[in-house]
Amino acid sequence: MTDTTLERALVVEPTETKRGWAGQSIPRKEDKRLVQGHGVFVDDVKRHGMGYLHFVRSPYAHAKVKSIDVSKALELGGVYGTLTGDEVAILTDPFFELSTPPGADMKDYALAVGKVRHMGEPVAAVVASSRDIARDAAELVEVEYEPLPVVVDAERAAEEGAPLLHEEAGSNVVWSGLFDWGDYDAALAEADQVVRIERLHFDRFSSTPLECSGAVVEYEKHTGQWTIFCNHQMPGIGAIWMGPALRCGLDKLRFVTHDIGGAFGNKICLHPQLTACCLLARKLNRPIQWTEWRTDQHMANSHGNERTFLDVEVPVRADGTMLGFKVRALDDCGAFPRYEPLGCIIWAQVTPGLYRWRNIRVDFTQVTTNKSPVGPNRGYSRMQHLWLTERIIDIVAHQLGLDPIEVRKRNYIRSEEMPYETPNGCVYDSGDYARCLDLVLGLINHEGIEERRRDAESRGKLLGFGIGSTLDSGTNNFGQSQLLNPDLQFSGNNEVATIKLDIFGEIVLTLGTVPQGQGHETVAAQVAADILGVSPDDIHVRPGHDSYWNTHAGLSGTYASQFAVTGLGAVKGATDLLADQIKRLAGVILGGVGKDAIMLEGGFAKIKDNPEAALPFMACGAIINANNAGLPPELDDVTLNCRYVFRPRFEVPDKERKYGNLTLTYANQIHACVLEIDKETGVPVIVDYAAVDDCGIRIHPQIVEGQVHGAAAQGLGAALHESFPYDEEGTLLTANFYDYHVPHALDMPPFKTESIESPSPFTPLGAKGMGEGGGAGIHAVCAAIQDALRGAGGAIVYDSCNPAHRIWELMREPEKSRSLVSVEERS
Amino acid sequence: MREKTIKVEVNGDLYEREVESRRLLVHFIRDDLELTGTHIGCDTGNCGACTVLYNGDAIKSCMMLAVQADGASIDTVEGLARDGELHPIQQAFSETHALQCGYCTPGMLMSAKYLLDSNPNPSEPEIRKAIQGNICRCTGYVNIVEAIQRAAGHD
Amino acid sequence: MHPVTHGSAEHGRAWFNHAVLLSEVEYARPASVDEALVLLAGDDNARALAGGQTLINVLKQRLVSPDLLVDLAELEELTPITVAEDGSLELGAMATLSDLIASAEVQERRPILAEVASSVADVQVRNRGTVGGNVCSNDPTNHLPPLMVAAGATMTIASAAGTRTVPAEDFFLGVYMTAVGPGELLTGVSIPAAGGTGDGFFSVTVGNEGTGIVNVAATVNGEARIAIGCVSSLPVLVTSRPDDESVREAVRAADLDPPSDVHGSGEYRRHLAEVLAVRAVGYARSSG
Repeated sequence: MTDTTLERALVVEPTETKRGWAGQSIPRKEDKRLVQGHGVFVDDVKRHGMGYLHFVRSPYAHAKVKSIDVSKALELGGVYGTLTGDEVAILTDPFFELSTPPGADMKDYALAVGKVRHMGEPVAAVVASSRDIARDAAELVEVEYEPLPVVVDAERAAEEGAPLLHEEAGSNVVWSGLFDWGDYDAALAEADQVVRIERLHFDRFSSTPLECSGAVVEYEKHTGQWTIFCNHQMPGIGAIWMGPALRCGLDKLRFVTHDIGGAFGNKICLHPQLTACCLLARKLNRPIQWTEWRTDQHMANSHGNERTFLDVEVPVRADGTMLGFKVRALDDCGAFPRYEPLGCIIWAQVTPGLYRWRNIRVDFTQVTTNKSPVGPNRGYSRMQHLWLTERIIDIVAHQLGLDPIEVRKRNYIRSEEMPYETPNGCVYDSGDYARCLDLVLGLINHEGIEERRRDAESRGKLLGFGIGSTLDSGTNNFGQSQLLNPDLQFSGNNEVATIKLDIFGEIVLTLGTVPQGQGHETVAAQVAADILGVSPDDIHVRPGHDSYWNTHAGLSGTYASQFAVTGLGAVKGATDLLADQIKRLAGVILGGVGKDAIMLEGGFAKIKDNPEAALPFMACGAIINANNAGLPPELDDVTLNCRYVFRPRFEVPDKERKYGNLTLTYANQIHACVLEIDKETGVPVIVDYAAVDDCGIRIHPQIVEGQVHGAAAQGLGAALHESFPYDEEGTLLTANFYDYHVPHALDMPPFKTESIESPSPFTPLGAKGMGEGGGAGIHAVCAAIQDALRGAGGAIVYDSCNPAHRIWELMREPEKSRSLVSVEERS
Repeated sequence: MREKTIKVEVNGDLYEREVESRRLLVHFIRDDLELTGTHIGCDTGNCGACTVLYNGDAIKSCMMLAVQADGASIDTVEGLARDGELHPIQQAFSETHALQCGYCTPGMLMSAKYLLDSNPNPSEPEIRKAIQGNICRCTGYVNIVEAIQRAAGHD
Repeated sequence: MHPVTHGSAEHGRAWFNHAVLLSEVEYARPASVDEALVLLAGDDNARALAGGQTLINVLKQRLVSPDLLVDLAELEELTPITVAEDGSLELGAMATLSDLIASAEVQERRPILAEVASSVADVQVRNRGTVGGNVCSNDPTNHLPPLMVAAGATMTIASAAGTRTVPAEDFFLGVYMTAVGPGELLTGVSIPAAGGTGDGFFSVTVGNEGTGIVNVAATVNGEARIAIGCVSSLPVLVTSRPDDESVREAVRAADLDPPSDVHGSGEYRRHLAEVLAVRAVGYARSSG
């Protein structure tokens, strides 16, 4: 039952990089330009003669588009042209869908074709000489709509007779399937108690990066080449979507990024808008500028997956051991699948959460609704599932009168079991959850909690304490997509880096990644500097991404918590190649010694036994690039321009059993939250907060800590304020920062962090990806609220977002939420 | 009048331009003066990415018309560094890792400068209140508060 | 600041062609109140522009499209905060929220004004937002309207015909609607001398110092004057004896019918009104 013998041998890469620059928090290369306001964000880019694009957007959540009349808009002085869905349908093919039918038959274009399916969906585009004129002209575009019935509830959308978003698909279901591992029925039979939870609901929200999406797109007539200066964070997949749609080769889509103002997964599904820009750049023969407005980003960019968990069932043994769980998961992906249905499998990277239960059954369905499409928002799909597992732990503990801390200690996977194979064949590489839990309890002074509770009581407040544990699984195996659709041709993962030593000794490094604040220029330089024996200041890392550098592959980008593995793996690989070549060259030049006799130090290649014999890097660069007569044939392949594609070791998972390793690394975080709830108003205030993280070897501890802060803040926002509710007409009610409240400086509690390092045995540097965080803040706050409410009727927290008014409702009618949970005694 | 010629001093330089009355100050700064350090992050004056100093006061330039700034003196992030030397606040932000993506940073720096100009030794609550009008999605404000404390120590 | 979400598609395609870009508008910057009045009287669709912290946002949304903006920035006579002979506090309509906070006169005579002003939004907004703007826009979630009503303030309105005064409780007529008519300008707000009066103000907001969900201002001088904001299109005034139970009864008797939205149901707001009224009056009692 708890067998963790691995079915196959693992390949462990030797870590050659000694700790030098890696492990230090050096000043960031990016900062100098960013603190002076000299960063280049997409809206800063200007091209001569560019036309400003304004999208005409649907005011209806669901409607047929009967006609579009752009004539009045075209008459306005300064208007260059327009684009409508009819043109898009002729000029492009629909973006390919990842799903099997019915999802496969849902059509998605750059503009609405024939009908609109969510409020704010672009229906037409107007391009003009200024933003203001484009905006004025948009008002003159006349669209005739025939409204259709709206469906905003996922359960309703799944029913027979619900309004159909995509008629060709014949269903609102994008994908559905059953995941069944271990022997759930046996676990149920063995149980002494069975806890049932009728429903849990993970709310829609998103990390709402401060910079909105945007692009400046140019088209070169003779070559058919598009240059897309943008903030797309995953150009590899962007090109894969856009190329076939535009009926062009992928090399015709040059993606260029520079500085990006945050993305958090919300700048992955930009292909519809970028395709519209491409068509207009070609049609109007001028560069096209588009910047998304904040309202557009909230209404029509991407939300995090909304997931409802129904009929949760948890068999428990009398000693508090959780034997497994069963659940029906209903995922709401909004109007178009886009990156979905990947969310239907990605959660399986963390099927058991942090716990040792082996028998898990998940009946998963994903449906479309007349709401904003979803995208891989920070924590993508794992966060929702981890929230489920944490809620189960706390609710079961609550019902059975157990201490949630003890339940966690009993059921956490143990460090000695690592690497740990989960019920569905994923391998948790390393981690010590119990130790992290102890550390966070210390940070938060858990021993003093009851005293704090009494003090709060005396001030009319209910004090609550909660733990949130989470995993940040990183470096996807895209083969998991084949578990959803066996015909998909995606598997494994890759990232690319190129490093060269130039004529005058410049070391230039380019990456396939697309940083949006994670400090890639700095961290990549640290790793390369250690290998080459120079300082990070000697390594010039080009900012951003550019397809023309030929330093990217199909899955390039920055997403899914993987830079420290894939990006740095590529950097290490490329730099190792360069170092090897320098040594071989130097060996020959310095008197016919082998490369093993050479060391690299301070910008020189030196003979180890005779360091006076040294060749400066500049000489190496000059020889190979401009002065290479007389070099022996064994150096023919020495170019000092080394490109490396890092590929993590993955197999295609077993499609029958839906079994296999889906992710390479598992960082984890354990958070503790202490909050006080005003008994009369329901207003929650977090009074203390702590987080312990473990992401293996940290290359730049300050950057790691910054990610922990940021992810926690986003978690707190999602737990207490941030959600995207809709009314019956499909209107988004929080389409701006006025109504969609994100944490400001006064909202943040005192915050303590600590780190441990459990190196990953599977990665080149022992590091694990860690940027997403996994939503621990949400889990901890929900737990703390539920704990606080024990003093006011014992309500159950069943929604992920609990602002004051919801807490008040829970306090007012505790029976309502409590009735969602039942315990069946079996013994 | 729908257009007006305005004279605005920005970072010590005098600019004279004709603008439409409806033009927002932030668009004037970014597009007409090509000082793109000041950013736009929202539609409703909530995020503060557009914060500049107007006659010495921190304001959100997305909630002022350019014509209102006629005759005024504006300071933007581009004016903080002098002769290639970073302002102590900029230096402090980098040292404490108070910026990740850098998009909120210009506005944040101007709010920090505004605070320290009048309150050289602020308490932590005072610092948080001073940057309450500046949203950051990356840092959780932890290191930003530390940066401002560090910059305060520099006087 | 103002709420901008709307449920109905009828609210205009403008909403869905959304951008931070205003319609064309004319702009004038008069040098005197008289000049301003002439401009306002000369155009039905003229709007006074004070700090712009509400109006500019409204214009961005194109919810209103005035023909003319009359910028009050040069009306120096409207900025001072002074004390009248009878001890009442005279706030110029163009005094900013930051001016209120910094004013020694406010601190001495009616510190609740500074306390409340300092909780409005953020320092950037307070540096521009004015007393007049906050009061004349009468966004239901604004802080000053209930405060003025509870304190028994008097508004001075100027027009070509002269000036008139309107008590605060008659000044607010509806959302964005006050007693200031076309061709008129609010020039000042007068708060009576405190003299034994205690003030209190409590609110529940979206996040710390965010938008009001419910706010309640109370002034106690023998009896309690309680003004409840965010529950209706104008502040709701109730009076009662200043003990907790009487306050609760008075608020219940007001039969509030607050709106429901993403931040709370009508029932929640009704409940908050009671709770916050008790707290505001309690605070006022102890500070008087």
